[in-house]
Amino acid sequence: MDKDQAGLQLAEIESVVARVKQSRIYRVAGDICMVWGVVHLSRYGYFRIAPHWAASSWYVVDTVGVVVTLALVQRANAGRGGGLWRAVVAFALFYGFGWIWSNVLGDFGGRQASAFWPTLFLFGYSLAGLWFGIGFTALGLSLTGLIVVGYAYAGDYYPLWLAISTGGGFLLCGLWMRRV
Amino acid sequence: MDAPDDVIHQPIRLRVMAALTAPGCDAEGLDFTRLKALTGATDGNLGAHIDHLARAGYVDVSKAFVGRRPRTTVATTAAGRAAFARHVAFLRSIIAEG
Repeated sequence: MDKDQAGLQLAEIESVVARVKQSRIYRVAGDICMVWGVVHLSRYGYFRIAPHWAASSWYVVDTVGVVVTLALVQRANAGRGGGLWRAVVAFALFYGFGWIWSNVLGDFGGRQASAFWPTLFLFGYSLAGLWFGIGFTALGLSLTGLIVVGYAYAGDYYPLWLAISTGGGFLLCGLWMRRV
Repeated sequence: MDAPDDVIHQPIRLRVMAALTAPGCDAEGLDFTRLKALTGATDGNLGAHIDHLARAGYVDVSKAFVGRRPRTTVATTAAGRAAFARHVAFLRSIIAEG
């Protein structure tokens, strides 16, 4: 075997390892997307059924979403340190930033808040795509686009639009990511 | 080591071993469908190469049902991981000798 053949085999190994890593990231991200699809469907579905309890129900379903997400991250990082704490800090930063804007600096009504929160997290997905794969950016931008369209044109059907577009969108993207 | 591992040297088997020894896969292995996607091999071709690796004692193959669907999982053995590490060390030694 000469140097060129050895170099080609090492490059092939690196390429396969990179594909395995990408595949594992998409698999975990797919599971997380499906969790948040169910969270969004529940959140806005509940808003449709019992609007006066919507705010308190959001705390419950969001908390469930965060806990399940952290459990999935923990399972994916079993044996390797750091992943869970980074995820906890990431959630704290996103929720902290969102809380400051929606409660202190901003003057959001219910309609604005229900557009702001998902688009805040989808912005994170869009950025994550720069490191983890174009699928994240496609998910972030396409669902943000759907939310903006619903915000402008869905009228009274806005919560239903959010349930179907973000809930359904997350579920479909999750299925796609798991199969990539 | 002054020669490549004859079992791992073949391109599809090299990809299979690279995938199975990648971080995160070395303990739990990978299912057949995922290995097929990662290596770009056909069903029959991949099956033959996995048999070859199993006969050499480099991988373990286990079959189970998930729901009603059969699932074949392939994982490296300690001997397989050691052989792959030696093969990679051999490749690096060739590059280093340059």
